Amino acid sequence: MAGAIIENMSTKKLCIVGGILLVFQVIAFLVGGLIAPSPTTAVSYLANKCVDVEKNHQKTKWYLSWGSNPCEKIRDFDEAVSRQIEANDIVFSIHAPHPHNEMSPWFQFMLYVLHVDIAFKMDNQIKNNAEITFNVSLGYRDDMVSEWQPMAYAEETRKLKCAFNYPKTKENEDSFYDCDVLSFMEIGTVAHKFYLVNIRLPVHEKKGINVGIGDIRDIRLVGIHQNGGFTKVWFAMKTVLTPSIFTIMVWYWRRITMMTRPPVLLEKVIFALGISMTFINIPVEWFSIGFEWTWMLLFGDIRQGIFYAMLLSFWIIFCGEHMMDQNERNRFSSYWKQVGPIAVGAFCLFVFDMCERGVQLKNPFYSIWTTDVGTELAMAFIIVAGICLCLYFLFLCFMVFQVFRNISGKQSSLPAMSKARRLHYEGLIFRFKFLMLITLACAAMTVIFFIVSQVTEGHWKWGGYTVELNSAFFTGIYGMWNLYVFALMFLYAPSHKNYGEDQSIGDLGISSGEELQLTTTITHVDGPTEVYKLARKEAQE
Amino acid sequence: MSPRYFLRSLLLLILAAFSANASNWLYLAKLSSVGSISEEETCEKLKGLIQRQVQMCKRNLEVMDSVRRGAQLAIEECQFQFRNRRWNCSTLDSLPVFGKVVTQGTREAAFVYAISSAGVAFAVTRACSSGELDKCGCDRTVHGVSPQGFQWSGCSDNIAYGVAFSQSFVDVRERSKGASSSRALMNLHNNEAGRKAILNNMRVECKCHGVSGSCEVKTCWKAMPPFRKVGNVLKEKFDGATEVEQRKIGSTKVLVPKNSQFKPHTDEDLVYLDSSPDFCDHDLKNGVLGTSGRHCNKTSKAIDGCELMCCGRGFHTDEVEVVERCSCKFHWCCFVKCKQCHRLVEMHTCR
Repeated sequence: MAGAIIENMSTKKLCIVGGILLVFQVIAFLVGGLIAPSPTTAVSYLANKCVDVEKNHQKTKWYLSWGSNPCEKIRDFDEAVSRQIEANDIVFSIHAPHPHNEMSPWFQFMLYVLHVDIAFKMDNQIKNNAEITFNVSLGYRDDMVSEWQPMAYAEETRKLKCAFNYPKTKENEDSFYDCDVLSFMEIGTVAHKFYLVNIRLPVHEKKGINVGIGDIRDIRLVGIHQNGGFTKVWFAMKTVLTPSIFTIMVWYWRRITMMTRPPVLLEKVIFALGISMTFINIPVEWFSIGFEWTWMLLFGDIRQGIFYAMLLSFWIIFCGEHMMDQNERNRFSSYWKQVGPIAVGAFCLFVFDMCERGVQLKNPFYSIWTTDVGTELAMAFIIVAGICLCLYFLFLCFMVFQVFRNISGKQSSLPAMSKARRLHYEGLIFRFKFLMLITLACAAMTVIFFIVSQVTEGHWKWGGYTVELNSAFFTGIYGMWNLYVFALMFLYAPSHKNYGEDQSIGDLGISSGEELQLTTTITHVDGPTEVYKLARKEAQE
Repeated sequence: MSPRYFLRSLLLLILAAFSANASNWLYLAKLSSVGSISEEETCEKLKGLIQRQVQMCKRNLEVMDSVRRGAQLAIEECQFQFRNRRWNCSTLDSLPVFGKVVTQGTREAAFVYAISSAGVAFAVTRACSSGELDKCGCDRTVHGVSPQGFQWSGCSDNIAYGVAFSQSFVDVRERSKGASSSRALMNLHNNEAGRKAILNNMRVECKCHGVSGSCEVKTCWKAMPPFRKVGNVLKEKFDGATEVEQRKIGSTKVLVPKNSQFKPHTDEDLVYLDSSPDFCDHDLKNGVLGTSGRHCNKTSKAIDGCELMCCGRGFHTDEVEVVERCSCKFHWCCFVKCKQCHRLVEMHTCR
């Protein structure tokens, strides 16, 4: 890549561009912090205990504890004992959302976790490695009167991970175990207004199903969904960003095709980064408002995965192309060692995601973590991906180190070089250091905001205003990487200034005298290759 | 309503009618058998409520069952926490529910006020979560709800509603008097301490659900502690309660520790004005049942030991055969199959 705009730009203009980008960056943060509500909401539901009076244990009947046709409800299980109701006759009923509210497609997804309240009894303790099995059916309807339509049915088993934090004595009976939350259900679309979950915990002593799970008092569900307000802000942002990134991408590619030489690898990679950014940006989510597309979550994951893989590859290739040593690169294949781990890691995460969210398309109650084999498999994928990531960062750090070593080597010999060569190297060094700086800044911002959003409560009160930190984090970081890609395509596009003269110079290189070189800046159509030729010559000297 | 319940409720109503001079809403717990409070007339008949509470009852009919449930919870928990003490939170079937002990500004009164306001907050929050109440977190009259509503930003936590309701229902008596008397200040403080015992012990649980389930996106929520935990916390506060007196600082009256060397109490601590009686002797006038006839632990040196429990009057020991359930088979609900085991136990009873 030769004669990039960034090298030919005056410091003043560069500052102006930087300032404009900074303004957009601040806007991105403010949009999230001030307009959008927090990204997600958790609603807790306490299951009502209905009694299946007909004792027919049909799947088809729906139990709702209120409304026009409420089920027969019991307050606690002591009541059930006195009425001789069996465990198999009890249906836990949860209606989402709470009365007088409606779900909306803007919620994007629904994720439910389950919590079982189990009381400690001296003679009815939870067994080791106890498992809880539930038959669960999910229904929906779009008005308050119509029949419930079945949506999913499954029999699921989850491991109970409970600890009792008091001494196990008679005194502490009726205290609750401290149990981990169990993953329950995940659906990638919220197309209906009302949902009803019916859970049964059938007991089958011979098969050992639901035996030794202690004295269950209550079942609680927590429903998590994206906030409608956040979705709207998010969509708006995507809709604005798509055309801007797309425009700069087209502009960038036109610049490259206007040159006489074929594009070099680095230019292609920057373009690919632009494509993957646009791919994330395209607001296909608008369709989720009208259509019942459950695969949207999975699709979003894949899009993000592609972008991350592209970004990581770009960094490696950028370092490689600024190495300033004798090796000829400019081929994708010469980076297999560094890009390989990215590909393997991304593939692992893709397989893992397909196993989790992919299967959830068929069975929303599925989770890979519920079985031993599944857990090991999932862990294996994640560990391999983690190792790949570490390997990648080692390579990257090593390459950056090499570049800096070469830079310092070159810098000491710069005064001795001819003016043309010196300018050439100075351009390379500046280009590299500039990208290094903004990349580090962006990465640091991402990490800092991630940590802040993890440790703080999620919003700051500022006088009368509430600043939603988490939303600001999402919109801000998303905006930041968009601006990063935007700036990259703009600043690293081939410059116009030397573009006409390049043709006249042809591949004359340094032989055509220093006067000419000065006006055009040394950078040539052939870019890095030329640099390497230079370097090799230098080495031969 | 079964006839048994009906008879009991009738009896209780009659009993209540004879002691109309006192007023304590906790009596609601004793009216467990009135059936559902679903009509405005029922509010008028409820004993123990003051006029302002009756009005609240009429305005929030659907919440009243939870208030009653809260009162029951509070009494059960009080009796559990105090099962080994001389005062064992025993209730009378008349007003005031706990006898005169609670009408004085004692430690015990502090605990009762705290646990009962916590009980109401707890029960109302639970009812919210199970969808029994219409308003709850999305009610705009309760603070902390964004004007755009559920679809824009979700509703506030149910606990906010539970606590707000407890504040307006339980505190109304003290507020209506104009919070000036030291007793009113003490009650208000302890009511708030009870609610704080829930709020400060909320368990934060989180779920990660970013790309591939990573913690890029994390949602946290607060889960209410079990009521036993609230009881334990308040019992600890009871043991470390601060004796206070009223002082005037500027134009406002505040409670400060009587012993100036003690650290000033916090919002979560219980405070009391008067020292408690020893609860040893039967004194019906003050509603103290006395410890005569109570079981005690011969080996313990603590308050449940026979020495202290019986106030030095001595105890007698009987050998009793108890029938216990043993080698039981349980289901998670409702089904128990046990053998009966007989065991000889030494029982110590205070004279």
